[in-house]
Amino acid sequence: MLSETLVGEVLGKARGGGADYAELYVERWRRRNLRALSGAVKEANSGIEFGAGLRLFYGTEVVYAYTNDLTPEGLTELTETLVRLKGQAGQVDAQGRGGLDFRKAAPQGLHAPKVPFEAKDKRYRLERLREAESAAKVAPEIRQVQTQMLEWEQEVLVAASDGTWAEDRRVRTRYVVVAIAQDEGGMQTGHRAPGLSLGLEIFDRFDPAQMGREAGQQAMTNLRAKPAPAGTMPVVVGNAFGGVIFHEALGHLLETTTVAKKTSVLSDKLGQKVASDCVTYIDEGTTAHGWGSQEFDDEGMRSEHTTLIKNGVLESYMVDRLGAMQTGYRPTGSGRRQDYTFAPTSRMRNTYIAPGTTPREKLFEGIEFGLYAAVMGGGQVRPGSGEYNFGVDEAYVIRNGRIEEAVRGAMLVGKGPDTIQKIAAVSDDLSTAPGMCGSISGSVPTEVGQPHLLVSEIVVGGQA
Amino acid sequence: MTFEQARDYLLEKAAAMGLEAEVVATQERELTLKGRGGKLEQITSATQGGLGVRVVAGGKTGYAYSEERSPQALDWVLQEARENAELQSEGGGFLPAGQALGRHDLLGEGLSGTLEQKTKATLGVEQGLLAAPRIHKVDSTYYSESETQGVLGSTKGLSGAYRNGYSYLGAYAVMGEGSNLKQGFHIELSKEFNALEPGRTALEFVEKTGRLLDARPLKTGRYRAYFEPKAFGMLVAAMGMFMLSAKNVLEGKSLLAGKLGQRIGSDLFTLVDDPTLADGLASRPFDAEGTPAQRTLIIDRGVLQTFLHNSETAHKLQAHNTGHASRSYKGVLGIGPSNLFVQPGAGVQIADGVIVAEMMGVHAGANPISGEFSLQALGLLVQGGEVAHAVENFTVAGNFLELLQGITALGDKLEWNPMMGIIGSPMVEVAELSFAGA
Repeated sequence: MLSETLVGEVLGKARGGGADYAELYVERWRRRNLRALSGAVKEANSGIEFGAGLRLFYGTEVVYAYTNDLTPEGLTELTETLVRLKGQAGQVDAQGRGGLDFRKAAPQGLHAPKVPFEAKDKRYRLERLREAESAAKVAPEIRQVQTQMLEWEQEVLVAASDGTWAEDRRVRTRYVVVAIAQDEGGMQTGHRAPGLSLGLEIFDRFDPAQMGREAGQQAMTNLRAKPAPAGTMPVVVGNAFGGVIFHEALGHLLETTTVAKKTSVLSDKLGQKVASDCVTYIDEGTTAHGWGSQEFDDEGMRSEHTTLIKNGVLESYMVDRLGAMQTGYRPTGSGRRQDYTFAPTSRMRNTYIAPGTTPREKLFEGIEFGLYAAVMGGGQVRPGSGEYNFGVDEAYVIRNGRIEEAVRGAMLVGKGPDTIQKIAAVSDDLSTAPGMCGSISGSVPTEVGQPHLLVSEIVVGGQA
Repeated sequence: MTFEQARDYLLEKAAAMGLEAEVVATQERELTLKGRGGKLEQITSATQGGLGVRVVAGGKTGYAYSEERSPQALDWVLQEARENAELQSEGGGFLPAGQALGRHDLLGEGLSGTLEQKTKATLGVEQGLLAAPRIHKVDSTYYSESETQGVLGSTKGLSGAYRNGYSYLGAYAVMGEGSNLKQGFHIELSKEFNALEPGRTALEFVEKTGRLLDARPLKTGRYRAYFEPKAFGMLVAAMGMFMLSAKNVLEGKSLLAGKLGQRIGSDLFTLVDDPTLADGLASRPFDAEGTPAQRTLIIDRGVLQTFLHNSETAHKLQAHNTGHASRSYKGVLGIGPSNLFVQPGAGVQIADGVIVAEMMGVHAGANPISGEFSLQALGLLVQGGEVAHAVENFTVAGNFLELLQGITALGDKLEWNPMMGIIGSPMVEVAELSFAGA
């Protein structure tokens, strides 16, 4: 996207202004978004996002600037602004440097699409979405079906004053089906939202009719459900998106973003037992076509497999460049950002609890009264206290070891460090699901995952 | 190409292609200082922006945008927008007739100040925090300012420009000791840098977060609820704004559809949107389609008066356009409030129940389509008019419309919450809600 000479000049100028390390991030996105309601297109939008972010390190102090003006003049001004800002706020010690010898790394196409976006016209997408919509109408109470399709193509270049030069191309596709059911009692929703790092073969990997049917069935289940019970009880959490509980309760507490400042309750605990024995927690950057996969992170480091917790013992944090400098921990290729408007920080990629050995049906045995959180919704955590919460999209009461009536409106709340100690058993049916994760470097695609598992006690917020 | 040149290029090319087009262009400047340990840990400086088009071809509407202002990129934008329009099955799309609205400056010199002064303010918040008792760790303190220049234009005669902006001080820290910890975040927002006071920001953080320490579990049950202004503002933002959007009414997603003129809340409850407030953080001369700003009485003493409209929804529902069009250059035409607020009442006498101070996880725990919410909260248990102790690890649940009917008193002082739009509310007392905890 930019010539080696221009990149070299920008980085050289930054180093000349006293920075210990200079990093330039350049990207161009093409995004398309199609939303239809009851088969009719409501909105179709396409866009180009194009910009650069320059980050300079002075020890562990960082200055960051971004712009859409990628002309040589624009980038020169950006660099000078940064050096000047730092000059006013701190000390400049002039140390120039000659030309840079870049070590060029290009993507290997590990997650490349089989059916690129150009291969089919826009009508093709609309037809697939209409298949999902028709299938979602599983009952007359399904009044509305909304479908949406997202296509993202991102070209990235990360170059730095240590010779880093990494180019990546990331293509992601996701579609969403939301079924709305209504009767005299009110309105309820059900949804499915598959997404992966690939192209239009998403429709082969996830059949639109099946996704539609499942969304419709979930809306009907919720329409007929009673309000959820309230109180503290055992909870069996479903697989796939169920993993969002540990994304919130555990994952966010292991990012150097908070660990370095000791504002995470899990700071300084490497080698210590932080979870029950049956918990092994992985952050995987290399899953083929994973929603959270990319060949390089947004600091130019190659993605890797990181074991965070093994049999309950903390083995690694998720570490970005700044986090590594602050803590001395090995970088794990975890520097990520939404786009050029954010400086990167340590983030999750595809994060999951590894399979255990308990057969799924055994998890329910012996529960007199509890909740089966079959499909989870989104959630949130405060790393400083570990307090988390997340919604449940589809839930059932467990009575005497049996899954009984559906309930809606359940919310699970607790403190992460307590909850991970209370994981009583993990089954073997690992599965993953895509989500968008928000933190200080913006919203990034991440996968969550786990097998079915039993937590001995969680506060369930329902209508008492 | 400059933004103005790019806008003119798009409008001229669109006309030549036989398209009606409307352009929204914004250019933003940002400066953020992040302090920690007595120095600036991070400085962010930025200029950024883009152009978005809405085109209408044969009564069908399509959108596209670009941050790149080369002729190739802008040509791609128009081609994509036309293709996107062709995908629509329904016709009837139109661009509203526009007028010359002139240039408006809503910011003035509010952000002026030297980098030294702004650095001092950032670090002043940290000093204030560190001087307070029971601070466990300061994650960071912030000063941030943002200035936006917006330009509108259309092939139907619309032209207008505005300049707006704001600044804020932020505190992000953990209080308490041992396993008795509470993480808090507090920001103070103003259009005037000089109106920000680091000492006050720190003090408000400490008061807000410190009172939640030493919390005990709350016993599951039904309690009278006293929502603090900012917490109630969150509920209005997550639920009310969605239900009141005429776009959601038209799409069959609002529980308030068909309820115009009906009682939907307690007769104590009045909701107003006013973009003309002199000091309003969300005041604006016109909306994203150039419709001039006007005060809107949305719910009057419990009775629903109107939905919030843009030109498209007003036309489809044969209603008055309230001037609530919203559109960023990357987005599509939507509905957005300005300064939205609950009218204060005669005051609340706190007796027995739970003061709900903060609610978390609104994006997961509040479903605006069903109206149901179940939200993790932090608060204070009150008994006999006195605060007994802080409570934690519980949720408060209910249905938003039932809650509006259950309002039994409103505080007499308005407070603004800038976290999800600009929403004002007094304290709100609700007869009874379900709380789940121990």
